[in-house]
Amino acid sequence: MARDRSAQQNFGRPVRRILVGLLVFLLVALFLLWRIDSPRVERLRVALVDRFVPGMDWAMRPVTRMVGMVEHFQSYARVYEQNQELRRELQQMKAWREAALQLEQENAKLLGLTQVRLDPRLTHVTGVVLADSGSPFRQSVLLNVGERDGIRDGWATMDGLGLVGRISGVGRTTSRVILLTDANSRVPVSIQPSGQRAILAGDNTPLPPLEFLEKADLVRPGDRVVSSGDGGVFPADLLVGQVVQGPDRRLRVIPAADYQRLEFLRVLRSHEAEPITDTGGLIAPPGGIAPPPDAAVDGSGGGSDG
Amino acid sequence: MVDAVRSAPWGWRALFVAVVLATLVVRLLPLGRAAGGWPAPDLVLCLTCAWVLRRPDYVPALLIAAMVLLEDLLLMRPPGLWTAFVLLGSEFLRDRASFSRELTFMAEWMMVAVVMLAMLAGYRLATALAFLPQQGLGMALAQVAGSILAYPVVVGASRLLFGLRKPATGEVDAYGRRL
Repeated sequence: MARDRSAQQNFGRPVRRILVGLLVFLLVALFLLWRIDSPRVERLRVALVDRFVPGMDWAMRPVTRMVGMVEHFQSYARVYEQNQELRRELQQMKAWREAALQLEQENAKLLGLTQVRLDPRLTHVTGVVLADSGSPFRQSVLLNVGERDGIRDGWATMDGLGLVGRISGVGRTTSRVILLTDANSRVPVSIQPSGQRAILAGDNTPLPPLEFLEKADLVRPGDRVVSSGDGGVFPADLLVGQVVQGPDRRLRVIPAADYQRLEFLRVLRSHEAEPITDTGGLIAPPGGIAPPPDAAVDGSGGGSDG
Repeated sequence: MVDAVRSAPWGWRALFVAVVLATLVVRLLPLGRAAGGWPAPDLVLCLTCAWVLRRPDYVPALLIAAMVLLEDLLLMRPPGLWTAFVLLGSEFLRDRASFSRELTFMAEWMMVAVVMLAMLAGYRLATALAFLPQQGLGMALAQVAGSILAYPVVVGASRLLFGLRKPATGEVDAYGRRL
C-alpha cells in the first residue's frame, strides 16, 4: 500500500509542479493585467468588496461595539481628570461661541449688503464607516453608501468638523474613502492668514506634511489650513486642520477631523464647475454675438493649455 | 466524531479557511487605528508556513492561492503579486516538509524566517520593477520581524487549539497509508 502511494507521488510530482507553475503564472498575469489596465481590475475589486464586506457586517458590528465599550470603560478610570479638562475646554468654548455669534451676525449683514448667493447645490450624503483598510500601509475606510446613493469618484468627505479624504472607488452599495494620511493622497490647500498655497501630501503618518510651499517663513504653527479648490479637486474653504512643526522642522498638518473615531462621514455632493474651453466666448457684448466659426477648433486647443 | 472530522483533510481545509476569514474580519474592523502605528504580523503567512510544514495535505496550493488572493483584493494590495510569492514560498516549504520532520523547532524556525525574508525581498524587487510606489522599508521589515516572532505562537496555538502536529514516524492515516 505504502509503496503504491509513494510511486504515485513520484509520478504525480512533476505534474503537480507544472500545475503550481501554471498557477503562479496566472497570478503574475493578473498582476500585470492590473498594472496595465488598472481601472478594469479595480472595478472587479470594488465589486468583490461590495459583495463581501457588507456581508461580514453582522460579524464585525458586535465586535466593534464591544471594543468600543472596553475603551469607554477604560476612560471611566480617569473620569475626574477628564471632567476637569472638559470644564476648562467649555470655558474656552463659551468665549469662542460669543465670537462666532458676533461673526455670524456680521457675516449675514455683509452677505445681505453684497447680495451674495451661496451655492445651494452643496449638499451632502451621510454614510456609516463599514470597515478599515486592514493594512498598515494603506489609510482608507469603506462607507455604506455607493452608486445607489449617487456617490461619485472624487467627491470630498468630511466628518462633523474637517476634511477626511476623498472618494476613490465606488461600488453599488459601498464606496472607499482614501484618507488624507494615505501615501497616495494629494490635496491642494491654502494656509489661512497668509493665503499661501501648498499641497497636503499624505505619507502614512498621522500628521501629513505640506509640500510645494512657496514661502515657508510666512506660515506659522497654529495657522488654519483649508482646502483651496485648486484644480477643481475639492470645493474651496473646507477646514482641513492646523499647521504644526514636526521635530524634523518640516511643516505638517494636524487634521481637524478625528481620525481615531471615524464613524459617520459626510460625502459632499460637488458638481463639476462648467469648464471654460473657449477664450473668445467669455468677453461678449450683453446682446451676445454668434461665436466665430473656428471657435470649436480654438476651444479644443485652448482647453488643454488653460 | 471529532476525531473523524479531524482526520479528514476537508475538515482541516474548512478550518484553515475559517481562520483566514477571521483574521481578515479582525483587520477590517473599523476601530480607527492611527496611521503610522506598528504593523501587525502577517498571521496568514505564519499559518500557511506552519501548516504546510506539518501537514502539507491540509493546505493544498489552490486553497492557499485563493485565500491570499482574496486578502490581496480586500486589503487593496496589487492583486496576485503577493499571492504568487506566498505560493512559491509555501511550495518551497512543502518540498521540505518531510525533511523538516527531522529538524528541531529552532532549525525549522530559522528556515521559515529565511523564506519569509526572501519573499519580502522578492516582493519589493517586483514592485520596484513594476514602478509601483514602495511601502517604507522600516515598516515592511517590522512586519516581517513581527511575523517571524509570531511564528512560534501560531505553531503553539495550532498545536494546542486544533491539535495539529507533525506526523510521527510510521503514523498512518484513516486509510492505513503511511504519512
